[in-house]
Amino acid sequence: MKQAGVQDALDPSSAVSTSNDDETMAELRTLLLGPAEKQIADVHARLTDPNRQLEEVVHVLPAAISVRSRRDGQLADALAPTVTSAIHESVRKDPQPIADAIFPIIGPAIRKAISAALSGMTQSFNQTLAYSVSVKGLKWRLEALRTGRSFAEVVLLHTLLYRVEQVFLIHRETGLLLQHVSAPGSQMQDADMVSGMLTAIQDFVHDSFSTAKGDELQTLQVGELTVWVERGPLAVLAGVIRGNAPHELREVFQQTLERIHLQFGTALSEFKGDASPFDSTRSLLEDCLQAHYDSQPKASDKPAKLTPLNVIVSLLVIAALVLGFFWLRGRWRWDNFIEQLRNEPGIVVAETGTRDGKYYLSGLRDPLARDPAVLMQEAKVDPNKVLSRWEPFQALTPDFVLARSKRLLNTPNTVKLSLKDGVLNAEGFASHDWVIEARRGSRFLPGVNGFRDDRLLDLNRVEDPLLMFVLDSAELVPGQSEKFDALVHDIERLQAQAEAMQKNVTLEIYGHTDESGTEERNATLAAERAQTVASELQGRLPRWTNVTVRAVASKEQLRNEVTEADRATNRSVTFKVIATDAQ
Amino acid sequence: MIQKKVCMIGSFAVGKTSLVRRFVESIYSDKYHTTVGVKVDKKVVNTPAGEATLLLWDIEGAESEHDLRKSYLRGASGYLLVADGTRSDTLYKALSLQTRAEEAVGTVPFLLLLNKADLTQSWQIQEREMDALRQKSWTVLTTSAKSGQGVEEAFLRLAQSMMEDHNG
Repeated sequence: MKQAGVQDALDPSSAVSTSNDDETMAELRTLLLGPAEKQIADVHARLTDPNRQLEEVVHVLPAAISVRSRRDGQLADALAPTVTSAIHESVRKDPQPIADAIFPIIGPAIRKAISAALSGMTQSFNQTLAYSVSVKGLKWRLEALRTGRSFAEVVLLHTLLYRVEQVFLIHRETGLLLQHVSAPGSQMQDADMVSGMLTAIQDFVHDSFSTAKGDELQTLQVGELTVWVERGPLAVLAGVIRGNAPHELREVFQQTLERIHLQFGTALSEFKGDASPFDSTRSLLEDCLQAHYDSQPKASDKPAKLTPLNVIVSLLVIAALVLGFFWLRGRWRWDNFIEQLRNEPGIVVAETGTRDGKYYLSGLRDPLARDPAVLMQEAKVDPNKVLSRWEPFQALTPDFVLARSKRLLNTPNTVKLSLKDGVLNAEGFASHDWVIEARRGSRFLPGVNGFRDDRLLDLNRVEDPLLMFVLDSAELVPGQSEKFDALVHDIERLQAQAEAMQKNVTLEIYGHTDESGTEERNATLAAERAQTVASELQGRLPRWTNVTVRAVASKEQLRNEVTEADRATNRSVTFKVIATDAQ
Repeated sequence: MIQKKVCMIGSFAVGKTSLVRRFVESIYSDKYHTTVGVKVDKKVVNTPAGEATLLLWDIEGAESEHDLRKSYLRGASGYLLVADGTRSDTLYKALSLQTRAEEAVGTVPFLLLLNKADLTQSWQIQEREMDALRQKSWTVLTTSAKSGQGVEEAFLRLAQSMMEDHNG
């Protein structure tokens, strides 16, 4: 019965409809849906009432934004255009609020940007300088010359850790190029064809080697270049990388590809060959053009810091330099001294060297040679640091033979010696004793083969003649004129030699008497006799310049008077030559 | 700029590569055929419907439709079916390759080229065979990569059909 009622109620074709049925239906509805009826009305109201909807969205919106933002970046991508246009609109209407808002950050931002730019400039300047002068720099310059690249390019290539040189965005279905960006300076082929071949190669690899579905070509490696391929459902992103890129870069590629799919999904699926809708992917792709350079200066390039070790090392180096300087100077002085010794006549250096921290030196030395100690002093060599041993020897060089001769012959300063072909020549005037001694001694002198004194005046010739006088008179005994003439001649020779030797000569004339007569008479007579000869000589040779004649009365008797001959001899004058240096 | 992928399909030694070489300056050497099995070249052409960049996928000769890599055909906006006019078997192979291509890329513009038209002495394709194909609304052209006869025209006509397709 009830079933039939329901059947009737549900049957629209039922023609019979009574008020009784309506009541039954209402009752039935209440019975069946009573508890849910209010909820249905509520749901209905929530779906249709805009105010209610607004309330609900307001309720969940902050949480929803927060949850979605945590999940991925799509919300930001979706909001970006709206936010951008909102900002544009706001600025257009009134720039002041935005200006006020960014005012606190704009100053620091500018400062930061400027200081970064400056430090970058300084660093690159430093780097360029460092590379210009280093060995590495020279090598790179050579490479630049060899390869025809610019130096800057070569430096860049060597300091490059990695660089994404090109990025291709390729339509997956057709292999056609949608967008392509490349880093400045990177070499590239026709991007359209590269894109096609890249796709063909992927297909080739996929068809030829794939083991499981979904396995795809991810990396191509060619020398320094690597091609990374990231595949999305509609597009492929391929990056050409020089160097070794970190794995994080792949994530950058993936995110870029995801973003492109999100923003250009429709354009990608409807792509028919017109790439213009993808112009705006450029900036996204350019984010992938990353590069990292080895800009860290090497430890050796850094200016040394002032550490205790550095200070000690520096001091040691300075000390070493100072010691080295003194050592070198000492060495140099020593070498000079030795050189001087070797050049010194009469000194023969046999051995030099260092022993126990001292210099030592041995050799032969002629006693007439200069004293090595004096030479050492002149060369500023510290004598305390030198051990020297000299053996005496006789040098046979002419200088030394002559010097030795002068010394051994006790040569008076009125004699000038010279050596010629081993023969010793004497000039000037000397006592008879010296002449005899020199003749004898010269025979024993090493290096002397002969002795010539023909130009030497034996003073005997002047001093020896005895001019005799008449008894008790200042008159010369007749017959002595020859002797007198000879005397005058010898005095002339003396004059000549004295002049040549720059000597003044005083010829003293001593008058003598015999024992007869008084002492007083004898003194007068002696003076008269000397004066007589002096006057006679001065009369004969008035032009003498270096010879002075002086008359002296002498009490001295030449002989003991035993015979008359002794007495005659005592009645005479004698001569004495006294030489002094000419003024 | 509109870009279009175009495939060259045909048996071995029918002259596909020679046709492409006649048409473009290539940056890739022909050895790609034996390694990867395809070589991609590019040519910009002017059609009444606008300028188009053709990316020519010159696929290695296939003896049967099973040799033809479908993946290389994918995304093509048109193709040139090439047969050797002096070897009638290459025409029949071209017909089966066309079926295969249509499976892969759907109904897109294509042309049948009977190449080596300069070798008139050994020409084997009868006029009525060509007519039969034209009946199926195929475009059939005789070309010679050697003399250049019909080459430019073939590429231009295909480009034009594709551009009409694009705009329509």
